[in-house]
Amino acid sequence: MSERDRRRLVFAAFAAVLPLALLVALSRGSVPLPMGGVLRSALGRVGVAWGSPLPGTGEVILWSVRLPRVLIAALVGGGLAVVGASLQALFRNPLADAGLLGVGPGAALGAVLAVDLGWAHERFLAMPLSACAGALLALLLIYAIAHAGGRPTLSGLLLTGLAVSALAAAGTSVLLVATEEFRVRTILFWLAGGLEGRGYEHLALVAAFVGPGALALLLLARPLDVLSLGEEEAASLSLPVHGVRILVFGLCALVAGPVTAVAGAVPFVGLIAPHALRALVGPPSRRLLPASFLAGAALVVIADVAARSLGQYVELPLGSVTAFVGAPYFLVALRGQEGRG
Amino acid sequence: MSAVLEARGLWVDRGRRTVLRGVDLSLGPGEGLALVGPNAAGKSTLVRTLAGLLRTGRGDVLLEGRPLAAWARPAIARRVALVAAEDAAPDRLAVEDRVALGRYPHRGPLAPFTDEDRAAVLRALRQTEIEHLARRPLGTLSAGERQLALLARGLAQDPAVLLLDEPATHLDVRHQLHLFRVLDDVRQHGVAVLAVIHDLQRAAVWAPRMALLDEGRIAASGSPVEVLESEAAGRAFGVGIRGLPVADGSERLWRFEVRG
Repeated sequence: MSERDRRRLVFAAFAAVLPLALLVALSRGSVPLPMGGVLRSALGRVGVAWGSPLPGTGEVILWSVRLPRVLIAALVGGGLAVVGASLQALFRNPLADAGLLGVGPGAALGAVLAVDLGWAHERFLAMPLSACAGALLALLLIYAIAHAGGRPTLSGLLLTGLAVSALAAAGTSVLLVATEEFRVRTILFWLAGGLEGRGYEHLALVAAFVGPGALALLLLARPLDVLSLGEEEAASLSLPVHGVRILVFGLCALVAGPVTAVAGAVPFVGLIAPHALRALVGPPSRRLLPASFLAGAALVVIADVAARSLGQYVELPLGSVTAFVGAPYFLVALRGQEGRG
Repeated sequence: MSAVLEARGLWVDRGRRTVLRGVDLSLGPGEGLALVGPNAAGKSTLVRTLAGLLRTGRGDVLLEGRPLAAWARPAIARRVALVAAEDAAPDRLAVEDRVALGRYPHRGPLAPFTDEDRAAVLRALRQTEIEHLARRPLGTLSAGERQLALLARGLAQDPAVLLLDEPATHLDVRHQLHLFRVLDDVRQHGVAVLAVIHDLQRAAVWAPRMALLDEGRIAASGSPVEVLESEAAGRAFGVGIRGLPVADGSERLWRFEVRG
């Protein structure tokens, strides 16, 4: 089998896994729905009548509760994976990730600030936009600190991310103490993360940011590849290095901000998907970014199913599920990376 | 023969240090020039300035007679390729994908690669004789092969001027010979080649013309024999340099002795 065939196979596999994961995710939950019924109901919606659909309550659960939630999970995962792949190319580091670089905590700080100041109640988009700003600030801070002495080492980058995360978390704690009591509940519910009770308005919000943001990052595939050759070579190939970096940071924040605002922290997705796929489809971003989107989407959809079905009476936080899988993966990958120097 | 790339009275500062102090240099089509000089003489700075990567103080770099500042960045990169001493590309990147990125100045971020681009990549792989490695990830190559892949990226740019900063430093002798043979082949096609070369013996054997950079100035230039036997060369390197004619007398074996 040639390399090209293998890559096609990988894409085909993920293109098949994603709908399958979506189908499973739609049928599982506190009220299980038969997969056949879900399929028939979906076909009915697009005008193909085929057997009997779901009972009335099943229809309501499927279309008003489960579908938006599952689609949000897919967009959250896909978006974070594309952001992770882009940051990995930009920092020239296969273990860079929005979560590890403090982008999530930065976004959280931004969102909490919006609630604290009351903006979130006054303006619809205040919270996600404020989360975007927090994410961008975290990225620029890391870039400025870590790049101050040339290309940062892996440990330098991770430690800088740790410091920025701690800083953002400290800010969030201070705000939490200073926030009026009736708003604290909103914040705590949100900080816990997860997709419980998320509906179409959240889906619209996530889609409005993740869609264009991820698409724009896909269009930057070639500049990202040039950038991954190193600053000097990229500049000698006429890439406006600084401008491209700022643009990528902006787009990453645009995706990661609202994702964090809707789903809370979902760590390690942005690391696992591109890191695992690089071995299968190679590092060129034109392949890695779309493949990462598909894989990340499937990953979070499945993680959300686990979050819903593993706990007996309560839902597990989505972020905990991805961390349970992601943290060991990260540690193994880190060892491999350090072994290579 | 008019110069394709020329430095005129070039002054360059890096930080607070003035590195280049009025460099004059010119390169004609198909010409080969070895740039030599002691450590910290400003060789790398000169090469990067010629590639348009560093801001100049006084003086100018002229590409095809026009100052670099008057050129658009992609237009410069379609004419001037820079090949550094070390390859920093990701290990998993395949050789052909790496070389293909040399087409970026021709196509920009979005335009799809054309047959012309694919032909340029293939030509570059053939010229450097690494066609058989096209699918291999860079991390699996030897240092020499990796340097050739980096050179192939420069050739894929289809440049009029090829600038190399110590391209042979990490290579064994076989790969060194190979690399300089490729450079001669490239010159046959009219490409001007300027290479910073650390090894004076190697530089003298390869280069038709040599320039000695010392403390930010061109201290001597001409044939390798003229440059290496000059007072300026001995002063610059702080050693005695003697050329012993070998074989038919056209080549020299160079001896370096500590002065004292």
